[in-house]
Amino acid sequence: MTRLSQNFIEFGHFASYLALMVALLQGLAPVGARLLRIPRLAEVSLNAAVAVFVLTTIGALSLIHAFVAGNFSVLYVAQNSNQALPLFYKVAALWGGHEGSLYLWVWILTLYTVIVAWHGRSRYPAHLPVILSVQGWLMVGFFGLILFLSSPFERLLPAAPDGQDLNPLLQDPGMVVHPPMLYLGYVGFSVPFAFAMTALLTNWKSELWVGFVRRWALIAWGFLTAGIMIGGWWAYYELGWGGYWGWDPVENASFMPWLIGTALVHSIAVQDRRHMLHAWNIFLVISTFSLSLLGTFLVRSGVLSSVHAFAVDPGRGAYILSFMVIVLSVSFGIFLAKGRYQEARESITSFVSRESLFVWNNVIFTAACICVMLGTLYPLALDALYGDKITVGAPYFNVVMVPLFLMILLLMGVGPLVPWRKANPERLKRRLLIPGIVGATAVAFMWLLGWHAHWTAPAAVGFAAFTAAALLTDYWRAVTQRRAQLNEPIARALWKTVAGNRRHYGGMVVHFGIVVIALGLVGSGLFRSEIAVTLAPGDVVEVGGERLRFEGVRELRGPNYTAVQGRFTMIDYGRSVAPERRRYLRQEAPMTESAIDATWLRDVYVVLAEAAGAEKWAVQVYVNPLVRFIWSGGAIILSGLLLALSQRRPRQREARPILAGTAPVKS
Amino acid sequence: MNRSVSHFYPRLSAFICGFAVLFLFASAIADQVAEDPLERQMLDIAKDLRCAVCQNQPISESNADLARDMREVIREQLKAGKSRAEIVRYFVDRYGNYVLMKPPYEGTGAPLWALPLAIFLVLAASAWVFLKRRLRAPMPPPPELTEQDRARVREARRQEAE
Repeated sequence: MTRLSQNFIEFGHFASYLALMVALLQGLAPVGARLLRIPRLAEVSLNAAVAVFVLTTIGALSLIHAFVAGNFSVLYVAQNSNQALPLFYKVAALWGGHEGSLYLWVWILTLYTVIVAWHGRSRYPAHLPVILSVQGWLMVGFFGLILFLSSPFERLLPAAPDGQDLNPLLQDPGMVVHPPMLYLGYVGFSVPFAFAMTALLTNWKSELWVGFVRRWALIAWGFLTAGIMIGGWWAYYELGWGGYWGWDPVENASFMPWLIGTALVHSIAVQDRRHMLHAWNIFLVISTFSLSLLGTFLVRSGVLSSVHAFAVDPGRGAYILSFMVIVLSVSFGIFLAKGRYQEARESITSFVSRESLFVWNNVIFTAACICVMLGTLYPLALDALYGDKITVGAPYFNVVMVPLFLMILLLMGVGPLVPWRKANPERLKRRLLIPGIVGATAVAFMWLLGWHAHWTAPAAVGFAAFTAAALLTDYWRAVTQRRAQLNEPIARALWKTVAGNRRHYGGMVVHFGIVVIALGLVGSGLFRSEIAVTLAPGDVVEVGGERLRFEGVRELRGPNYTAVQGRFTMIDYGRSVAPERRRYLRQEAPMTESAIDATWLRDVYVVLAEAAGAEKWAVQVYVNPLVRFIWSGGAIILSGLLLALSQRRPRQREARPILAGTAPVKS
Repeated sequence: MNRSVSHFYPRLSAFICGFAVLFLFASAIADQVAEDPLERQMLDIAKDLRCAVCQNQPISESNADLARDMREVIREQLKAGKSRAEIVRYFVDRYGNYVLMKPPYEGTGAPLWALPLAIFLVLAASAWVFLKRRLRAPMPPPPELTEQDRARVREARRQEAE
């Protein structure tokens, strides 16, 4: 490796210092324009947004170059990769550790900012500088942390001959995609946040910004959903305990913004359609973004592994804490000072109306979020304040969250049947009749089959069936109405009904995806069978109606690991599965690679636990019903979201090209 | 109709017979390994105990040495005839409440169990008050007519006049 290419990293390092300067300029531009009464100065922020993105990208590329070229004179590279690592994971190692993932965060922030700058140049040019300024200040905060306290550009001189290893758990396609998706979600909520701040600061009329905020919030929500789903999928086949969600603080950290974000994308519809809840929506926007920040910092500050890890590096901990305090107090301060200018223009007409049900939706999602927060932060607070340790694990969250989830499941079916403003009680009763019968039948069915060991199983399946029936009958009613009016053939009516109101039906597809996931959760959560046995070659084991024969093990060699691979034949199908136990170079503990035989009805999940004497192996086999429903439900949700987003609102141009609140200059 | 039925049943019964033969054959050639009931009891207890050195993992799922040792302790105590409650108490005495995956209902765990319901009730009550207040609030004046609306009114009037 030549000296020049070894020092290429310094170009990136320098570029990110420049990025910090330009981000500062971007943040100051509209402020300067206001103070110096030079309105055109505000437009500097547009160019700054592009420049910051280019500079941050140069920094990221220099890091990727260091990883790919094996430049172990960079400390972060030496800590997170080695020469034997496959190329794919060398690139992904950029976000394999603390420093790099913060860099990815800010890189995505600059990407969103440049997209907003492009998107807003003709749609909302008057407010664009302020929006970009808010994002500029966020960048300044993150670059400050990255460059001064946790720099991925730190050098290691003399260079190490070879690096350590990327955590083997992260050497997996799922883990390559999961962090960027999650961060695209977290950071995506910075756009609604910047809009909300701008709306408050400039008294921007609600009708003019609500559509943009709704769209940006939906996009961020989609990425966050995808990130969480991929995280669960990765945990399922990589961690080897047969589950996909353990209510681990790391998972909760991403679930909190998801819950409040979900409340937001519903309640923003009320503002859009019925001109109410403006201030509440701004509150939700601020909360969602704050929780995204909290999520990033909880996971990245090390506070979760131990509250004392926070104190090991006091600079970093204090910085993160003060950054959060500043963001929270500034944004909620502005909200308290100027929130009342964003006032509702209409009133509730009836308790039985879509908008009223949206309010109840918000109650449940907010309660769910606060409960998750309680369970996640309470043990940390208890430890920090009194040194008293307590564990809040999955059994707690299952008890607390399941009733809330059941309510959501029910509301999801009722809500779309209730019209805006005021429902006709008679008509509503008629509409609820068929779904009610379907739901009751499903409960009876579960009972007759004896699937009621836990009361949540029949309840959840009943509610899921109710909601699915409500969604389908509602759709069918719209189709028949259309056919009666226009005398269309059935296929055309089916398609045109959806195409004519993609926003609504996109939402319904999302709801349907949730129903599918709910069935998957009930199946795999409550009807799982498992067995833990010691097997010799030729032994047969039976669990959950599945029979497997252990054929023995063989040695295996991967690019950067050695492994023992077991082989099991599924006697009833003739297929086989091959779980592994891997030992990575430079890693002490062996890792389990579970093997899964998946069909629509069940997953057979086999783990090679440990050697137990000559030729004998301790093995765990799980039969998890309906797991595939969960992943396909995720895919349905994302396609529904794309359908809803495909309906574009008519483009409105803003009249005033110059910053709101300042007098235009005559040229 | 009749013919297809008569063709169907022999096939079905052949299929069932074939399946049954295969099934018996398969079970006859192999020793089926059953799970040790002690192991199941151990795992059921291990599920509710936290591996103290891991991140939020029960000892039933952890590969850590400590978890393996703790599983062994549970096995030994089960063999000695101790009950589930006794074994759990044994670990709580040594590691504190930290070792329980589900926080206790009393003491430091109490707020965790009391607060969620309180939070939900407070939020629901505020939503109720909000809706009630907005319901009583006087209706704001109807929105102004847009140019399009005016054009429609003019058009309607014109048609009426004709």
